[in-house]
Amino acid sequence: MTDLKEYFNIALRNIRTRLLRSWLTILGIIIGVFLIISLLSLSEGLKMTVDQQLQALGGEMVMIVPGEDFISSMMFGGTKLQAEDIEAIQKADGVDTVISYSYIGTIARYEGESKQIAIAGLGPWREALEIFEVFQGWSLREGRWPSKGNQVLIGQQVANKIFAEEVEIGSEIIIKGRKFETTGILNSLGSQQDDSMVYMDIDVYQDVTGEKRGTAAYAMAKLVDGADENEVAESIEESLKKTRKRRLGADEADFSVITSEKMGELAGNILGIIQIVIIGFASIAIVVGGIGITNSMFTSVRERTREIGVMKAIGATNSAILSIFLIEAGIIGILGGVGGLILGSALAKGIDYYAQMNPSFYFTATVAPWMIVFALLFSFSVGCLAGFFPARQAAKLKPVDALRRYE
Amino acid sequence: MGKIEVHALRGLSLEISPGAFVAIMGSSGSGKSTLLNMIGCLDFPTKGKVYLKGKNIAEMPESQLSQFRGKILGFVFQEFNLLPNLNALENVMLPMVFQKVPLAERKEKAQNILGKVGLKGRVHHQPSELSGGERQRVALARAFANDPEVVIADEPTGNLDSVTGRMIMETLTDFHKKQGKTMVVVTHDPKIAQYAEEIVNIQDGQIVGNHATAKEYLWKNHD
Repeated sequence: MTDLKEYFNIALRNIRTRLLRSWLTILGIIIGVFLIISLLSLSEGLKMTVDQQLQALGGEMVMIVPGEDFISSMMFGGTKLQAEDIEAIQKADGVDTVISYSYIGTIARYEGESKQIAIAGLGPWREALEIFEVFQGWSLREGRWPSKGNQVLIGQQVANKIFAEEVEIGSEIIIKGRKFETTGILNSLGSQQDDSMVYMDIDVYQDVTGEKRGTAAYAMAKLVDGADENEVAESIEESLKKTRKRRLGADEADFSVITSEKMGELAGNILGIIQIVIIGFASIAIVVGGIGITNSMFTSVRERTREIGVMKAIGATNSAILSIFLIEAGIIGILGGVGGLILGSALAKGIDYYAQMNPSFYFTATVAPWMIVFALLFSFSVGCLAGFFPARQAAKLKPVDALRRYE
Repeated sequence: MGKIEVHALRGLSLEISPGAFVAIMGSSGSGKSTLLNMIGCLDFPTKGKVYLKGKNIAEMPESQLSQFRGKILGFVFQEFNLLPNLNALENVMLPMVFQKVPLAERKEKAQNILGKVGLKGRVHHQPSELSGGERQRVALARAFANDPEVVIADEPTGNLDSVTGRMIMETLTDFHKKQGKTMVVVTHDPKIAQYAEEIVNIQDGQIVGNHATAKEYLWKNHD
């Protein structure tokens, strides 16, 4: 142990005498680890944001989306649930209330200014509001819940950001030539998209947009108390299949019934892919840093070949020389790791802080403990690995050859 | 690029007995340094054998070789070869680090030897802050740190002026006389060779005995 301590001192001395070069190498690692940490913390933050939104869906709700592929129909719309489908859902065991939901992008005018927004129709209106209030966590920042057909609720973005003038309670907003009264402004719903909507009764929505009455882009079923979401999902599926078969004669299930559990899985898959891509990029950064260490160690070994010869001549074993150089490379790796960790965490904290100050910025970054352990272990092993080959090469030299170099 | 094989030493046979003070003389390129490196386990013959304490060095494992270099042998180089990052004391302590001597003992011994070579006040100086003569004295102290049986010096005065060179040789001779250590010194300077008890003359990789035999003869007569 005492000799290891001594080797550590020697290694430290070597780093200090080549201060600038050592710092440049360390900087290479810092950037690599910084990239890893910031990318990972952002992806971790993304995961947390998605998890939070999924929780808002809750265990008491099941979503029914038309189309074979859930993702594409969510994104591009297209097929709609028909009135018969809604009825079928309503008839399924364990379903308490069915809420229809449709949305479309359109132009809204406020105080003479026209802007692109989205409008969403919910129905039946009163039940929808009640359910959304309890299960989706909707709450009013200002005003009251609308009751009449021409009254609308607006999201936070619509109120504050979209129009030059802030939209006030009781003011008039014109959509597709119809005048609506803003009666309530919602608190943030946790996503930019949801906050940029104007919400209204689905009947009014269908009048305005010309959508066929009784249809919906998707539906949400609130379960009766104590029902199991998976069982209810199954019974909804059965019921829907039956009506569809009768109506279209087709047997295929071109709709998806999504429970919160399934949604979680789905989001998990997507996030998994994102994370793999992120880790891929981060690995490139680390490899570049590792090459930096290797390069620096090779140079260091080459310019000190003579010193190595001297050390061998006065009795240093190969393993002693290897240890000194490995410790040197390890120190460089660890310092780079710590530096990158500090910078990466600072960035994550910065983003987190910014997100708290600006609720409309739906993004957080989290540095998980495993990332710290990973970054330190990783940078240390990259350092050691990068130092190993030049060090071994140096240790294996015949002393006379090492001494003769650069004479 | 092809390598041209050069035989630095040919048909050479030399025996050095414990406690001897041998000077190896010869002009530049005569092979004297190669001979010394082989005695010091720094180089190995392609043919032929080198025995150190009765053991063939070519057959020794690396661990034992480093043990030999560190414990049995002490080196003094022409270019001093101190580690530039370590101060005088640390340079002298380094061979003892490799022999796993505990810190306190190491320090005391190193300070003691540095005192003997007249560097008591300079122990914390970096090599760059020392003069050539002082550096070589640090190197001497380092060679003696592990109390070796054989001290090998390759042109120890080659980079020094004559006055400093004499001082170094006197220190070496002093160690030889007081502690009975075997000394092998390579030099091309006859004045330095005078300090030795035996002189081996080497030319084109072979011992040309005359001078040496004469000297040996002289010593024999002396006894």
